[in-house]
Amino acid sequence: MSDDITTMDTEELIQKMQDDLYDGLAEETEAGTHELLRRGLTPYEALTRALVGGMDIVGVDFRDGILFVPEVLMAAKAMKAGMAILRPLLAETGAPQIGTMIVGTVKGDIHDIGKNLVAMMMEGAGFQVVNLGINCDADKFLAAYHEHQPEILGMSALLTTTMPYMQVVIKRFKEEGLRDKVIVMVGGAPLNAAFAEEIEADAYCRDAAVAVETAKKLVALKRAQPVA
Amino acid sequence: MSDHLELVIIALMPSGRRGQVRRGANLLDAARQLGVELESICAGRQTCGKCQISVEEGHFQKHGLTSSAASLTPMDGREAKYTAEHPLAPGRRLACACEVLGDVLINVPEESQARKQVIAKAATDRAIDVNPAVRQVYVEVEAATLESHGSDWERLQTALAEQWQLRDLTIDFLALPTLQPALKQGKHAVTVTLWQDREVLRLQPGYAEGAYGLAVDVGSTTVAAHLCDLRTGAVRATESAMNPQVRFGEDLMSRVSYVMMHPDGVAKMHRAIIAALNDLVRKAASAAGLSTDDILDLVMVGNPVMHHLFLGIDPVELGGAPFALAVNTAIDLKARDLGLKLNACARLHVLPCIAGHVGADNVAVQLAEAPHQQDEKMLIVDVGTNAEIVLGDRTQVLCASSPTGPAFEGAQITHGQRAAPGAIERVRIDPITLEPRFKVIGYDDWIEPGQVIDGSKATGICGSGIIEAIAELFLAGIIDRDGRFNEAAPERSPRVRFTGRTGEYVLADAEQTATGHPIVVTQSDVRAIQLGKAALYAGAKLLMEARGVTTVDRVVLAGAFGSYIDPKHAMILGLIPDCELSRVVAVGNAAGDGARIALLNKEMRLEAARIAQNARHVQTAVAANFQAEFVGAIAIPHATDPFPHLDGLLPKRAESDGAPIRRSQRRRQAVIGSLGH
Repeated sequence: MSDDITTMDTEELIQKMQDDLYDGLAEETEAGTHELLRRGLTPYEALTRALVGGMDIVGVDFRDGILFVPEVLMAAKAMKAGMAILRPLLAETGAPQIGTMIVGTVKGDIHDIGKNLVAMMMEGAGFQVVNLGINCDADKFLAAYHEHQPEILGMSALLTTTMPYMQVVIKRFKEEGLRDKVIVMVGGAPLNAAFAEEIEADAYCRDAAVAVETAKKLVALKRAQPVA
Repeated sequence: MSDHLELVIIALMPSGRRGQVRRGANLLDAARQLGVELESICAGRQTCGKCQISVEEGHFQKHGLTSSAASLTPMDGREAKYTAEHPLAPGRRLACACEVLGDVLINVPEESQARKQVIAKAATDRAIDVNPAVRQVYVEVEAATLESHGSDWERLQTALAEQWQLRDLTIDFLALPTLQPALKQGKHAVTVTLWQDREVLRLQPGYAEGAYGLAVDVGSTTVAAHLCDLRTGAVRATESAMNPQVRFGEDLMSRVSYVMMHPDGVAKMHRAIIAALNDLVRKAASAAGLSTDDILDLVMVGNPVMHHLFLGIDPVELGGAPFALAVNTAIDLKARDLGLKLNACARLHVLPCIAGHVGADNVAVQLAEAPHQQDEKMLIVDVGTNAEIVLGDRTQVLCASSPTGPAFEGAQITHGQRAAPGAIERVRIDPITLEPRFKVIGYDDWIEPGQVIDGSKATGICGSGIIEAIAELFLAGIIDRDGRFNEAAPERSPRVRFTGRTGEYVLADAEQTATGHPIVVTQSDVRAIQLGKAALYAGAKLLMEARGVTTVDRVVLAGAFGSYIDPKHAMILGLIPDCELSRVVAVGNAAGDGARIALLNKEMRLEAARIAQNARHVQTAVAANFQAEFVGAIAIPHATDPFPHLDGLLPKRAESDGAPIRRSQRRRQAVIGSLGH
């Protein structure tokens, strides 16, 4: 296999870009993205086939424990490099939106590495992600909702003592009549599916890879429903 | 979902084991099935009464169940007969007589547990300068005459001033009624027990010897008490027990959340710990051949949540940012104020706390290890669910806490368990044959590959075992630096198995285990330990950065866990930063030692106050580079930090020469390989 990306055929190049993403190689990903555009692929095609396609593999291997946090972060950085080229073009061409997520660590909690990983994997899957940081109260989530109109609200907590605050946020969204407009996904070390069900979240996500799978599935379901 | 009707959830405390069992299953069998052995002598005939349990009623979010006494079959037949003859404590049932009808949370009291906890907390022989807060003095008091004015208390004060230069004294009002009888019986001679040379606690007729104190370390899992002779400093008895608060929540934060959800939670947990301490007091006194009346001082240390609950203070503010302590200074009280049953006039001293996650136990550790008196830079690591990290020398002491999670205590590990008999605690893997040798708690010798010895069957892996196992897996090339099981390893030994592309290692064969199933170390176990150790290392690293240093001169491993881990393996894993191996030491229960120091030396109580005042707390989780340090520390031993003191011990880096790692190529080959099968 020659390493010259200008001479390999497009399928081969897409394969190589998926490998580059997997290996966390940002420069190669950038070069590949430019090359795909030069060959006349639409920005949306370049995004979904090379970048999102590559991150899908990363997600699977992360889920299976084969890749771990450092490798996924590297891959996400490479993805980001490619996205930087594509984002303005996607906006210009009016390409379909995959979805938007607002995500934050709830009030009282200051742990955010897991949540950041979710944010990056979601970006890797093509979602637009607004990371609200740590110690987010209901007002902050609401304000972000109004500003960004996301499909998904993500909340994270690492402490048994802070996870009940998720319910407070969900209640506020209910009171404001917004609960049905947004998919609520929750995660964090002390959580489980039973807890998510009890607070009436839509899904508990064990890790970042599960979050991506769940988000894709639930957004697709939501879009399939007739608008009420 | 007809399955739902057939299966019920059962959770057992304090082990935290949880699982589904068939509706109608016998509780004793069900517990066993979940790995919880109950004491039973009569083999389930409802005659020995050893398998007593109680049901915790209510909704338990953490366990995902609602538990009720009605989830067990009602008492009848033999059990009723047994209880008629041997009344049980309220709420107790015989597990062997119960069938499980619904979801239930079972509390297994300590006396019913077949495998009692091994607690590594024994007082070490630390040299302590004995200068106690409570001491005895003998005085001869002028007898009252018809001509004399004032009172016997006044005459005692005069005698103490003349004979001992003790002035401005007060007397506990509960000691006062004993004054005249003591003077009378001692023919105007009495032995006075004083606190801080300020307050009279006890009066004994004539010459008397013997004042004792208790140093207590309230851990979230274990409570340990050392009964000391306040004159000689000698440890007369050491007793320990499980912290009974475990039934309200295994870890600190679950206990805080119990308080958040139960208005009476603080009172319940406060009463539970005081009752447990009173029990320890009785046991320690009786072991030393003393009366609880002889105990006149008590020093308590504990983490902030334990500290607050001990004092009856709501710990809810410690449950979330900004983690505010109700009080950080040392506290002097009467032991009776908290319902502690020592001498009625006994004193209680609680060491100060530093921050929301760095408590009196850490102050005690610093008191014992004295980093603030060292010329060299000392790193102290106290490993638990929350690791406390201290970096200091004469110029400055920094401290932090890091959320390591429960993996080091065996939780979240496939075959993990607490350090108890049956747990694999040491591991060696032959780098050529990949065959394991291991040691099991409760059995002295190493168990050779394939060797089956009755009485040494393994039940699981505890924290020290999993650390050694993963370090050894790395040294043997079974897992790579990134923690992944190497796809080529199965060719070297059938002990390395792959399911799809996910690997595991068989540490103990089916014949070597109590369950009859092999004990394995899985990819996800490696990942859980990587996360925990990275949090610890990153915390230490941030303190080093805050201090502007890149190396430390000495590493001290504190806590029960620290005394079991092998320094070399801890460093190979990258749990601690590089340091000369001979300068990495385990000091055991340094918090308990610190409590003893404060008990035996009143100057050291002031020293503890200074330590707490001067230590600078660093909030690592919100540090800008915490994530970068954390991610770097996930690799074994580290992605970039050098470990010169492990030169020659670590495997050569296969992927050297600066070329990027092409994991994708390995992946492609592996996928093709698995398709070929």
